[in-house]
Amino acid sequence: MLLFLLQFNFAELIKPLERYPALLSLIYLAGVAFVVFVLVLFVLFNRRRKSPLAVEPDENLPEEVRKRLGARSANRALWVFRVVFVALAFAVFGFHVYWALYAAEKDPRFAVLEKRDIRVKRVSKSQLSGWILDRDGDLKDTFAYWKIDKNKDQSGREDEDLARVYPLDKEMAHLLGTERGTPGLEYSLFKNREEPTPEALEVLLDPDIKKDENRDVRLTIDHELQRFAFEQLKDKRGAIVVLNPQNGEVLAVASNPTFSLYDAQDREKFREMDANQRDRPLVSRAMREYYVPGSTFKTFTMISAFRAGRQNEILNAYSGGYVPYRNSRSITDANGGCEPPFGCGPLNILQAFEASSNQYFSQMAVLLGRDRMAETASIFGIEAVEKPEDALTVGFISEIWNASSSHVKNAVALRKSTIVTGKEISLYDLAIQGMGQGYAGQMTPFQMALIAAGAGNLNGNLMKPKIELERAPEVFSNVLTQSQAEQVRSIMARVTEEPGGTARSIMPILGQDIRVGGKTGTAQKQVPVYDKKTNKPKFIVIKRRNRKTGEITEIRRTVLEKRVDGWFIAIAPLENPQVAIAVIVENIGNSSGGRTAAPLAANMIVKARQEGLLGEAMRTAPTNNQPATRKPQPTIRRR
Amino acid sequence: MNKSRPSTHLLILLIIAALAALGHYTIHYSALIRGYETSWATAGRNLFLFVPLFASIIILARTVRFAGNWTLFTTAVLLFSIGLVGQYRLFSDPEYVSIGDKAQAREQKIETQQLRYIKEHYSAEKKRIMGLPATPPAPVNLADETPRPALEGIGDVLFSGKTLIPLFAFACFLGAFFLFRKDRVLDFFQNNGFLLVLLTLVPLMLAAFTSSGGKSIGNMTPWEMSKVPFLLGFAAILTVLYRNLTKTTWGVPSGRDVVPLVFMAAIPFVPFLVLKDFGQMLVFASAYIVLYLVAVKRLPQRIVFVGSVAFLIAILTLAVLPTTMQTRVPLLSTIAEPLKKALPGRIHQRFYLWFEALKPPPSDTFWWKDDFENFYAEEYRNEIIEKNPDLQEKAAPVERQITPLVQQLNQLPRGDSRRAELQKKINDLQRPINAEVKERAKQELAELRQTAYPQLAETEKVGDEPSNIENNQPPNPEAQDDYSDPATASIEEQQAARGRLDSLNEEAWFADDAMQSSRATFGISSGGKTGRGLGLGFPELIPVADSDYIYAALGEETGLVGGLLIILTLIVFVNAGIRTALDARDMFTKLCAAGLTAFIGFQGLVNIGGITRALPMTGITLPFVSHGGFSLITSFVMLGMLLAISHRNGVDAQFNGTKPPENE
Repeated sequence: MLLFLLQFNFAELIKPLERYPALLSLIYLAGVAFVVFVLVLFVLFNRRRKSPLAVEPDENLPEEVRKRLGARSANRALWVFRVVFVALAFAVFGFHVYWALYAAEKDPRFAVLEKRDIRVKRVSKSQLSGWILDRDGDLKDTFAYWKIDKNKDQSGREDEDLARVYPLDKEMAHLLGTERGTPGLEYSLFKNREEPTPEALEVLLDPDIKKDENRDVRLTIDHELQRFAFEQLKDKRGAIVVLNPQNGEVLAVASNPTFSLYDAQDREKFREMDANQRDRPLVSRAMREYYVPGSTFKTFTMISAFRAGRQNEILNAYSGGYVPYRNSRSITDANGGCEPPFGCGPLNILQAFEASSNQYFSQMAVLLGRDRMAETASIFGIEAVEKPEDALTVGFISEIWNASSSHVKNAVALRKSTIVTGKEISLYDLAIQGMGQGYAGQMTPFQMALIAAGAGNLNGNLMKPKIELERAPEVFSNVLTQSQAEQVRSIMARVTEEPGGTARSIMPILGQDIRVGGKTGTAQKQVPVYDKKTNKPKFIVIKRRNRKTGEITEIRRTVLEKRVDGWFIAIAPLENPQVAIAVIVENIGNSSGGRTAAPLAANMIVKARQEGLLGEAMRTAPTNNQPATRKPQPTIRRR
Repeated sequence: MNKSRPSTHLLILLIIAALAALGHYTIHYSALIRGYETSWATAGRNLFLFVPLFASIIILARTVRFAGNWTLFTTAVLLFSIGLVGQYRLFSDPEYVSIGDKAQAREQKIETQQLRYIKEHYSAEKKRIMGLPATPPAPVNLADETPRPALEGIGDVLFSGKTLIPLFAFACFLGAFFLFRKDRVLDFFQNNGFLLVLLTLVPLMLAAFTSSGGKSIGNMTPWEMSKVPFLLGFAAILTVLYRNLTKTTWGVPSGRDVVPLVFMAAIPFVPFLVLKDFGQMLVFASAYIVLYLVAVKRLPQRIVFVGSVAFLIAILTLAVLPTTMQTRVPLLSTIAEPLKKALPGRIHQRFYLWFEALKPPPSDTFWWKDDFENFYAEEYRNEIIEKNPDLQEKAAPVERQITPLVQQLNQLPRGDSRRAELQKKINDLQRPINAEVKERAKQELAELRQTAYPQLAETEKVGDEPSNIENNQPPNPEAQDDYSDPATASIEEQQAARGRLDSLNEEAWFADDAMQSSRATFGISSGGKTGRGLGLGFPELIPVADSDYIYAALGEETGLVGGLLIILTLIVFVNAGIRTALDARDMFTKLCAAGLTAFIGFQGLVNIGGITRALPMTGITLPFVSHGGFSLITSFVMLGMLLAISHRNGVDAQFNGTKPPENE
């Protein structure tokens, strides 16, 4: 009973709860140690005592035999036994010391496996992970929270279970991630708490233990915008990325086809989705799927030209197309000749960008040269590889993220976009990369949004993207000077504002008081044809006969088809861009990026404005329908 | 500090009992934190077990004026008390004990922690959104909570094996003491050693042949008891022969003396070989080596003996070394190959677990293949059925039959006798389907293996063609005509198959063969220096942690310190045992004392070494600490015999009037 009284008085004083049993446990150990100490003392005091009762051999044996038979000899063996036993005991204990103290350091494999041990899972599960909130921190609009689930178990007894609820389960599926595939935010944001519980001594002495009382995390994602972005992609295949170019906040990342996080918890359903190569619902198209960027990549070439100080170059468009070197194929514009409205003849960068001239930008790429293109790529986090085959094995880029831990960085890592700038590729190959074709065909939509964001930043910096709201903004690289960035933005505005602009159609959606800069793109891509039933790529078998040996080899050839994708990248509002957007819509048939992707981007801008993401002042459209005042034209004049 | 003064040891015993009470209370409190109550009845029973131990001291002191070394007794009791605490920790944990409801018990424990966190930290609004009563965050008071009730009541405890077996062991201990105190009895055993061994062998062999998986009569190992007569027999024959062994010609004793000795030494290995009880063989071998070395005085004989034993061990060890290690030394694999084939798979598996437990073996290793396939068939049963429509058709009616049975089963309370019946019925219904599933699993894995590692010739052929094109490779306009490639698909498929095979293999390895030992290793690793604290770790995740793996359980919760204390206690015990052997006046008792000490000591080392991976894991118990029936009784019988010999020595010393000089 006395013990009872002690228990509850102590328990109130000692926090956390574990501290009390940890203390008791250490007292227990100390007590046992005391007893063992006393027993060891007994042994030590009895150590040197000689046995008075030794076996005495018979008197009548020879002296030599007597010696051997004597108790001394037998006892010596016992002494050896004692020494050997103690040595063995400590050797065995040495292994315990190794596992307890050194194994995790010395053996990387052990360290990895220990992290995967079931104990770690248990601890992290009982340390309830926090809620995932949107940028407003509103408890009603969460991305993941806990709920008490009342359900009846098999015996009919009412049972209360804690269940994780994802209000936007399909919209956020790629970001939050599954337990089975690549871990997403749900399994990385709370990762630093997955250390196993500390030792008893630490529990007792460490005052800081369990201080993290609020485990909730606020993301930069806007709940409503994310939902809306996904709605835009309904019945389409594609992706939408919305960033804030000024601080790198990711406002929305949508990718369709997607999956339900609840489905992914079921192993069978997960396997099925994982095997679906046609839709690839588990892969985020926004962050981990390569697309041919097409004309949107001209923004990159233009920025590269500004960096090299070659923005004033006047380049000719030829009716027969641009020929980079003798006997090379010619590069023409989309109509097979010169792009309207400016036609063939000399073009400046303004006209070329407005009309999306292939000839101008492929010539520009050759003018800038391999090194300059590679240098510009590196400031955007694009890998410029030497050989085409190197581009197949580049993997992921996580260091571009501004995140609290490497776990989070890996969870949202982008598949690394690439261009090829080595000496081995021809000038033709270099030229068509300048217009977003050829080896530039490995771009992720997120990367394209980053290119737009580089131009959209007022200081001309590329901000590291971040998804946790608490993080302070960080600069990834300097892309342009302030004035250059302003020029680039005004050139981008021509695409939506000038009569010849390829995205002029979005003006009615936007209304007149907001200026938007952008670039459209329409790109062809060779993709495998998928069998509708099996969702596996179709292939044909070709038999080839070796003439020398007569051996017949079977060759499986994947059936390919051309797919046209529509692109639009945008920044808005032009004076102080608060969103940088990349939109891709797959398989648009005969349409163009300006007609398919651009309206989606415009809708996103309008929505962002309603959400107050373009600044509180922009939230409500002004009542007067006057057009927004235009800034003076940049110094480069149209010829 | 006179060793023959019982009051000192009575006092130490009191301290040990108090510590045990403290340990039990700690576990009780930790359990409350996890939301369940431990049984007061079990705790009371455990503490009550100290009463007969106190009584033993008083009986020994009063009736026979015990003159031996009390330290033997006290260290044994200390080990026993540590064992009681460890077992209380495990057996009061519903997750460890319950068989059917393990997952449920685990979920409940996790949920208790989660709900407690919510109560302590979540704001009223958050609680409302969750569907809980909107109360402001408040600190948790354990006194206000209602823990899940304890598993065992007084009725369960009173007549359970866990009460009766220790009591019986104590009785055996006293019996052994009073028996072996008598010269007449010792003389009898000394003179009839051979008969004794043969008489033990007959029932033992019977038991060995009727056993399954190294166990008999349920989960018991009755042959533990045979250690005592075997030891007595070997000691007896050595006592008879040791003088003759010194008479040598050309350094070799006569065959008349050697043959019976070798025969007697070999006998115990026969039943244990049948039982595949590698651990007992190891313990026997070590103990017999000690006895031989004690009895035989000639140095060359000792060296030859030790050398040949070392040679045997070396050969065995080399044979089971992983192939990668063997190929590093020239000729080694040639020597090892025939030996390798001769050794059973179980031994291979044990040694592999010892050397490279963290790396799964190739999926087609002969001793692992079967387990792997079984695991796959069980774990992926539903998927396999779904993939095969014909199997699905067969399985559907069976499932319909089973579903109501499963419901029925879930409604029955735990411990109901009808549960076993129902379970059997369900199993019988499922058996034909499961057999077929296994067949399919085997096929499927064979195909996967074929895809992953095709014949070498094929690989070369594939390698001829350049292959660097992926589906979404950047379209090189000039190279577009030559887009696809024969090797692409097959190499991709091959890699995918390899990945799948490896991940399956690893999953199976850590869930099946290496599960127990790897969990134990991670357990002692997580224990660190001072352990997680009693009741705060997760030893319940290690299967059968109460017997073979008790050291891992204690290592997790009491850390290196706890492990060191156990080892030191063992060393003190062995020291006291050797002291008894040193003091023994005649060869027979000297050998008996040395043998008993070696048995207990080496058994402890082999057990701990298996867990810390200093030795292969062998599945024998930690004497006095592990929960066990026959092993506990045997340990206490051996303790009784040791005390009897110690007592004889003391009495003899008094009788001769040569009291040991005080040494302080």
